[in-house]
Amino acid sequence: MTCAEVRARLHAYVDGELSASDIAELDGHCVECQECAARVAAEHELRQLLRRQPRDAAPPELRARILHRVRREAAVATARRWLPVPALAAAAIVAALLLAARTPPPLIADLVDKHIAYAELERPGELVTSDPREVADWFRSRAGMRVTVPDYSPAGIHLTGARLAEAHERRAAYLLYEKGRTLLSVFMVPALAREADLPGRRVAYRDHEYVAYEHKGYRTISWSDGQTVYGLVSMLDYQALLECADRLRAERAQQTQL
Amino acid sequence: MTEEFEQVALVHLDALYHVALRLTRNRAEAEDVVQETCLRAFRSFDRFNPGTNCRAWLFTILRNVFLNRVRTRGREVLEAEAGGLDQVEMTADTHVGGSPEEQLLQTVLHGDVDRALAALPLVFREAVMLVDIERLSYREVAEVIGCPIGTVMSRLSRGRALLRRALVRFAREHGYVKEAE
Repeated sequence: MTCAEVRARLHAYVDGELSASDIAELDGHCVECQECAARVAAEHELRQLLRRQPRDAAPPELRARILHRVRREAAVATARRWLPVPALAAAAIVAALLLAARTPPPLIADLVDKHIAYAELERPGELVTSDPREVADWFRSRAGMRVTVPDYSPAGIHLTGARLAEAHERRAAYLLYEKGRTLLSVFMVPALAREADLPGRRVAYRDHEYVAYEHKGYRTISWSDGQTVYGLVSMLDYQALLECADRLRAERAQQTQL
Repeated sequence: MTEEFEQVALVHLDALYHVALRLTRNRAEAEDVVQETCLRAFRSFDRFNPGTNCRAWLFTILRNVFLNRVRTRGREVLEAEAGGLDQVEMTADTHVGGSPEEQLLQTVLHGDVDRALAALPLVFREAVMLVDIERLSYREVAEVIGCPIGTVMSRLSRGRALLRRALVRFAREHGYVKEAE
């Protein structure tokens, strides 16, 4: 192993992330090379320094508050199971969502990661506009895509822009909305043949079925019309997401008829 | 389920609070972030995969709650701070082991480490914190941050180099001879 190779593996070495054979080679090099041995020692030292730092414990009031909230939520969830018939529809949605599968399919997980990556940016849109028509025109001229841009403004969810995104090695249309400053991402990805029917637990909402997953703290609602997979990702609640999904589906159907 | 959640997830409350404190640099905000994280985690706890690291799962939710809140306040988070720094190549001059500067590290005070960490741009701070303080593996950190392992490694080495530089500067300010209190 050369000095450059040691330097490249320095952090992985002190963090215990190297393979046994790499460790042996690196150790061997350090016996011969004082400079590299000193580098290793210095990294160890910094790491030890950080690990020795005193840690703040969570305040007891915080712990009590969280326990109280969690137990109250659990009690409400139990009570809901015994609601009379009229409230059953809402309760059924909640129950179905609670039973949603543990791990989302790769495409949906990818959409959540895209949402997170763009949520980190100040201006995630390539095109920044609140005009749905401008967005539709932009996709048409930019990528030859016919994109439906739903209007969620009556619900206080405003269009902020759009971009082209890669989702699972496919070019996807990505619409960005904000409620307050909570982001809602709407993805439209060309469907593969096998994606005519998305896997996962289904939720019925206004006569249509959707697939719901919660992943990394975000909620997703998705469905496929055979040609396109639609995916909504946000921290908004499921009710709002389902309403947005229904709206998009309706506007899409209307557009296709024209 | 409540009991299981308390036993499996809430035992990490101190770690969550500690990370939240380092992210927000503010006690009230840290408490809010932790509370929201715990409630979100509770609601999706049936989807937590028991064989996996619960702390890493909780940190993922915590980080997203934090990012969402920061956005809500109209403050920018990662972009300007990172500013393409991921692309910065590590150069050999980031430190030279065994130099007098290394010995300076031994005079560092606890307050200095807090100050140096707090001054670190967020993308580096979270990588250093999750590996060095919370002891997550590179793979777990990649999962929490949602980026490739290579990115974790470059942020980590860059973050540690920046941290070291800041600590050396503080140690100099203390006049080198000052011993740890």
